Amino acid sequence: MTEMAKLLIIDDEEGIRKVLTVSLASDGYDVLAAARGEEGIEIFKKESPSIVLTDIKMPGMDGIEALKQIKTLNPDAEVIMITGHGDMDSAIEALKLDASDFLNKPIKAEALAVALKRAEERIAIRKKLKAYTDDLENMVRMATEEVKRRSDFQNKLITSSNDAIIATDEKGDIVIYNNGAARIFGYPRSEIIRKMNIDSLYPQAIASEFRTGLKRRGDVDLSEWREVAIVAKDGEVVPTRFSGFILYGEDEVMGSVGFFRDLREIKRLQQELIKSERLAATGQTVAGVAHYVKNILFGLKGGVYLVNLGLKENEADSLKTGWDMLERNMGRISDLVLDLLEYSRERKPEYEKCSPNAIANEVCGLMEASAKEYGIEIIRDFDPSMREVLLDPKGIHRCLLNLVSNAIDACLFDPSEEKKWVVRVKTIFENDGTVRFEVSDNGSGMDEEVEKKLFTSFFSTKEGRGTGLGLLNTQKIVQEHGGTIAVNSQPGKGSTFTIRLPYRNGPTQGATAKGGHQS
Amino acid sequence: MKKVLIVDDDVDVTTLVSKLVERSGYKAMVAKNGVEGMDKVREDKPDLIILDILMPKESGIRMYRELKTDDPLKDIPVIILSAIAKRSFFRSQKVLDEFAGQSVPEPEAYIEKPEEPEELIELMKKILG
Repeated sequence: MTEMAKLLIIDDEEGIRKVLTVSLASDGYDVLAAARGEEGIEIFKKESPSIVLTDIKMPGMDGIEALKQIKTLNPDAEVIMITGHGDMDSAIEALKLDASDFLNKPIKAEALAVALKRAEERIAIRKKLKAYTDDLENMVRMATEEVKRRSDFQNKLITSSNDAIIATDEKGDIVIYNNGAARIFGYPRSEIIRKMNIDSLYPQAIASEFRTGLKRRGDVDLSEWREVAIVAKDGEVVPTRFSGFILYGEDEVMGSVGFFRDLREIKRLQQELIKSERLAATGQTVAGVAHYVKNILFGLKGGVYLVNLGLKENEADSLKTGWDMLERNMGRISDLVLDLLEYSRERKPEYEKCSPNAIANEVCGLMEASAKEYGIEIIRDFDPSMREVLLDPKGIHRCLLNLVSNAIDACLFDPSEEKKWVVRVKTIFENDGTVRFEVSDNGSGMDEEVEKKLFTSFFSTKEGRGTGLGLLNTQKIVQEHGGTIAVNSQPGKGSTFTIRLPYRNGPTQGATAKGGHQS
Repeated sequence: MKKVLIVDDDVDVTTLVSKLVERSGYKAMVAKNGVEGMDKVREDKPDLIILDILMPKESGIRMYRELKTDDPLKDIPVIILSAIAKRSFFRSQKVLDEFAGQSVPEPEAYIEKPEEPEELIELMKKILG
């Protein structure tokens, strides 16, 4: 004890006051003394001693009353009551008022020492306890701050994500909805948090998977990234990449979280890339087109020469031959212009309900006459289980016409003398949501060199007869339709061109209705 | 009547040149590529060949070398009529000569397309007399 403990004695007997004061002061206490209860309270208020010794029986304010007031002023004060022999009632009363100890008169030195020691111990324990409590409060405050800091950090993490992060509670109500989500879904936070749920915000297919996952543990795995089209507030269909998780606590489902990445920009860039590739191809081969135009010019020039000759000499034969040449070359110009226009034009597929077999049949019918002229047979090999689907019939017609006419050319270019040439047009209704068209021939086929150049430039093997745009246009239409085109060819054996087109099932053309459309 | 073989895959060219050949008083024959061309040469022994370079199946360059290294055929005069620049053709000949280790004589004439009809007629007359 570095500081002297203050001790207050309240007793109306001067002798007792004096003896106690002297003996306690010599024990190291800073002793205060009062002769009356009222006086003792005043001193207590001023000096706030930690230990009080008070007589019970006093004129005026007695010890019980003093105890009461002291405990009101400071409940921690150690108050030791000095009682006469057999004053049981007062003792009980004092105990009720939380007196610390009792000393019987006459006060014995040992009893006083024990009582004071116990009081000191209680004070010390209380001090320690207070320190612990203070410490604990401090620690709790610090821990709370840390938790808050971490939660802030995690909140910022979620908020600053460019991707949409959307979390729900175990009931499927949305509780976290970051800025990225607002950008993709278009709803402000205020319209979402605890107001919308999985079913009202997510496409139906994902929503039902989440529902299943929230209901039962371990049944659903949404974690694999997949492309999902979501419908924003304004009705825009936004392409996204999505991945989701069901969140589990110790033993129960806590909620769900979904991550969505905006693919609009990527899709736009892809479109742009296709466009710029096409522009580059156009640029590269302006020379090729120029060469082709030059050939046409020669033809026109020759035709004009012959017509002039026929006119000058009045010779019908030259006139006729020259005129035919002029006509033929005008036809070539018009083909070229149409092909170029088709190639440079951006075109969206026009979806209509149609029968792929009917389109293929029409194309076969168109080409049959000229094929027969060259001794080439066209075989129809159509899938009888083909259904009517939503596709772009005009685009498909053009593609098939192109491929069949190429196949016939491949037969014409074939040097073989004894082959029986066949062009086969096949349709297949696939189970994966696509329609497959195959056009194969047993004509000249291609070597690898030619196969490589096939789709890359205005490349033609037909020396003046082809613009080199036919296959590029076919590929363009197929790509705009979201499909693929592939070729398989062997020199001398023939080629097979395969087109796969995804068809739509929806009731109308145009934008897909809200729902689980996955592109 | 002297015979002129025209080897070209372009119908416009064969039509016009045939007409010019006939008007000059010769017989015109037509082949669409090098393979067909060599067959016709062996069969009909033309007095002059008017040969294109860029053709499917067998190019004019190959047919020309075949022709000029074939003893009984190598003396048939050849006029090359092509959209390929004269310079490119002669350079390719030089490279091929070195590669094959044999020297092939130059053609009687080389005309770049588009041909002037009068020029072609004059050339034919000069060669065939």
